[in-house]
Amino acid sequence: MRRLPDVPPRGRAITVDLEGESIPAIEGEPVACSLIAAGESVLARSVKYHRPRGPYCFAAACSHCLMRVDGQPNVYTCRTPAQAGMKLERQNAYPSAKVDVFETIDWFFPKGLDHHEMFAGVPVAETVMAKVARQLAGLGLLPREAADPLPPAQTLRTHVAVVGAGAAGLEAARVLSTRGIPFRLLERDDVLGGRLAHGAPEQDAPHVPEPTAFPAGSVMTRATALGLYDDEHGRYLAVVTRGEEGPRLIKLYAERFLLAVGGHPPIHPFENNDLPGVYAGRAASLLLRRYAVAPEVATLVGWGPELHALARLLDERGVKVAAVVDLRGPLPPDAHPTACMGAEPKAHGLRAVSALSFEAQGSGRRKVECDAVLVSVPVSPGFELARQGGAKVTFDAKAGAFQVEADADGRTEVPDVFVAGDITGAGTAKAAAAAGHRAAEALAGGLS
Amino acid sequence: MSKALVCSCEDVTVSDVKHAVSRGFCDVESVKRYTGFGTGICQGKNCLSAVAALLEREKALKPEAVVPFTPRPPLYPTELRVLASAPVDESQPPVGGVPQELEHFASALRPEGSVPAKAKVVIIGGGIMGLSLAYNLALRGETDVVVLERGYLCAGASGRNGGGVRMQWGTPALIELAKRSIDLMKDFARDLGVNVWLRQGGYIFLAKRKDVAERLERNAVLHNKYGVPTRIITPDAARDIVPGLTMKDCLTAAYNPEDGVIFPWAFLWGYAQGCQKRGIKVETYTQVTGFETSNGQVRKVKTDRGDIACDTVVLASGAWSPEVARLVGVQLPNEPHRHEILSTEPLKPFLAPLVSVLDTGLYFSQSMRGEIVGGMGDPLEPAGLNMGSTLRFVKRFAEALIEQMPQVGSVKVLRQWAGCYDVTPDNNPVLGRTPGLDNLLQMSGFVGHGFMMAPAVAERMAQWMTTHESDELFTRFNLRRFAEGKLEREDMIIG
Repeated sequence: MRRLPDVPPRGRAITVDLEGESIPAIEGEPVACSLIAAGESVLARSVKYHRPRGPYCFAAACSHCLMRVDGQPNVYTCRTPAQAGMKLERQNAYPSAKVDVFETIDWFFPKGLDHHEMFAGVPVAETVMAKVARQLAGLGLLPREAADPLPPAQTLRTHVAVVGAGAAGLEAARVLSTRGIPFRLLERDDVLGGRLAHGAPEQDAPHVPEPTAFPAGSVMTRATALGLYDDEHGRYLAVVTRGEEGPRLIKLYAERFLLAVGGHPPIHPFENNDLPGVYAGRAASLLLRRYAVAPEVATLVGWGPELHALARLLDERGVKVAAVVDLRGPLPPDAHPTACMGAEPKAHGLRAVSALSFEAQGSGRRKVECDAVLVSVPVSPGFELARQGGAKVTFDAKAGAFQVEADADGRTEVPDVFVAGDITGAGTAKAAAAAGHRAAEALAGGLS
Repeated sequence: MSKALVCSCEDVTVSDVKHAVSRGFCDVESVKRYTGFGTGICQGKNCLSAVAALLEREKALKPEAVVPFTPRPPLYPTELRVLASAPVDESQPPVGGVPQELEHFASALRPEGSVPAKAKVVIIGGGIMGLSLAYNLALRGETDVVVLERGYLCAGASGRNGGGVRMQWGTPALIELAKRSIDLMKDFARDLGVNVWLRQGGYIFLAKRKDVAERLERNAVLHNKYGVPTRIITPDAARDIVPGLTMKDCLTAAYNPEDGVIFPWAFLWGYAQGCQKRGIKVETYTQVTGFETSNGQVRKVKTDRGDIACDTVVLASGAWSPEVARLVGVQLPNEPHRHEILSTEPLKPFLAPLVSVLDTGLYFSQSMRGEIVGGMGDPLEPAGLNMGSTLRFVKRFAEALIEQMPQVGSVKVLRQWAGCYDVTPDNNPVLGRTPGLDNLLQMSGFVGHGFMMAPAVAERMAQWMTTHESDELFTRFNLRRFAEGKLEREDMIIG
């Protein structure tokens, strides 16, 4: 990964401290982005086999980028803004993440290690293993100091709580604004738009409104929903917001909940899919669109419209695309010139990606050199909050993912929980916006 | 080395999932527990759909049987100090809890075919009680046994507890059972081929009130009499064992270095495999629907997969025991009470013992994987089968934990869940024959500590059942005691 030339920096140039080394960074951008742009691809070692890891999803939905940051363990560096002098340490490695002696575990157990049965009942070996395992387990270190005090928690009430300001949530909020129904729109990012802001651009995608387009106080950014709970006063979302004074907890009671959270970038199982340099497709589009950070040479693997849209985006921005491997097909008519049908992808490289090989349809196994493998598969619907609220979740065997069951207007089995967008199955932004519109109209019906 | 990861938080590979399936773990909840996928920092966001798709593709599951594991709050790792700040009205009893998960398991998960038409012994409940009893019966030559479990192995309290094992009890009967259990746990891997990761880091009980401190002192004398090396230690000595412990408002502490923690799920897998190897049927996703009785005997156990004619029935359903007993017209004094628990991000070893404040029921320890695992009872918790999670619990727990260990304030919670204690009026179990239904045997009422008692209780019960020799355990803890008013209350209950 590198910063694109000829793009003016989007923030102040600073340095951060990576294990005593001074690394250039841009203030405010995710520190993991600064690190990979500076050529630091290995940020961690994995928990069991000590495999090298670099950031993957840039959505706080995996664990590849966790580091010790200013003495705090297991911090998502993909969501932590870089600040001058920030102290970063890689975890779970000895003597260092670059040369980790425990990497030998990975080599000793090529077929994996069954810790349930290994040395079970073997005298001495069993005891030694238990001691060693205890020392090797765990990721970060307990913080040395007591944490700072926090701003007091808040309790808020509204008519409609909309979770997620992507295509579906934004359109729903627009409908609610027009109808004069009080609502709160929660967005965990610091900007609105979801994939509209950081995904590969789609045709006919709706535009992203400014926060000022909505009634004052109704839009909350940097607000992460933690759970859909209930108590003696009814149902509420537990939300944490991140401001200058630190994290603040909010209990948000509402008469209706519209969950438009989209989906998580899933892992796709293939050989060495965890090697530094393998990124989720949405991570790649985010890095490029928002921070002008991109691979030198990328290969893309996956399926679905986003795969090909990502190839187009990279192409337009002058990033070399060495291959687009579509695992399902059919290839769209406007596919990238390097696009082909393929199977059995495998990433190559010792500490970071150097190539991707795959079975190319009709022409045998091919190996393509690259510095990044971008995995673009449809998102896994984020059903968690809906399920906590009592909605039904089913498995779509064709998509290979769980989704929330709802009618065309986003009604779930529970009267006060509505859903819209990718939470009911991955689709286009345009379709998500239409679903957000219908759900807002439907849920507004019963409100005074 | 080349590996295809399916859960990168816990380094679970595609072949690990296939291995789990080959061991008979096919449903998503069981594969989660056996492989560890979805238990890491991401809590399944990254991996769940990939594993589900793999299980479907491998034909381990019918498409309708592919249901997700229960998504537990918080959705993202959340600092304990943030949760501690939640506004909660502690003067009111807790209401609600999410997600609700007490409904029946998806019928597609129910195995095809019927249960055996007859068996000598039917054990209702595939938790640690039922499985360890079945295994001990097999060791004594009795293998005509069927174990019925309504969900997956680990669905009940045996899969939801904190894994603490201790000898520090308030009555000789429980002290002796716990001692024997811990001895059996030491040999579990040798006997059953599965690691249970017993780590004897000790238990420290802290006392804030004078009466509680006196109770600890009194019990320490009793422990010593029964060979348990409990000692009363000063706050400074406690801080030597647990650096950073504030001991705020604590008067004294009791420490037994031989207590410890284990990895609970492995016991169920080990016992179940041990049973199956010896010909015992362990029927999961099978629900008891009723009984047939005549002349003061249970003749048949009815299930949603057919009826089983039997000579003896053992009721080992934990918090569900009263519900099952009602099906045969037996009123048990047991009441289910929800107890909540949570687990944090994994940290390198820093905490050797399990620490508990006996006054409030706060307890916390560090698991083999490095997570802080802990809970705290709620004095206002109403009776009822509720396994939902509340913000109220995490708030109360986080506040109480930070009071004793301030540096954990920024440690992040990964998930919270709940299980049900099976509570009896005197905090002691219900064991032995049922008055009026001679061949219905009780094995319940362990008030949240059944897990650590099971290996020893099962050993005694199997002996009692197969030899017909008398054993005072089954008269002392018989149901009759509640009618006769002969109650000796256990006072070392936590959680």
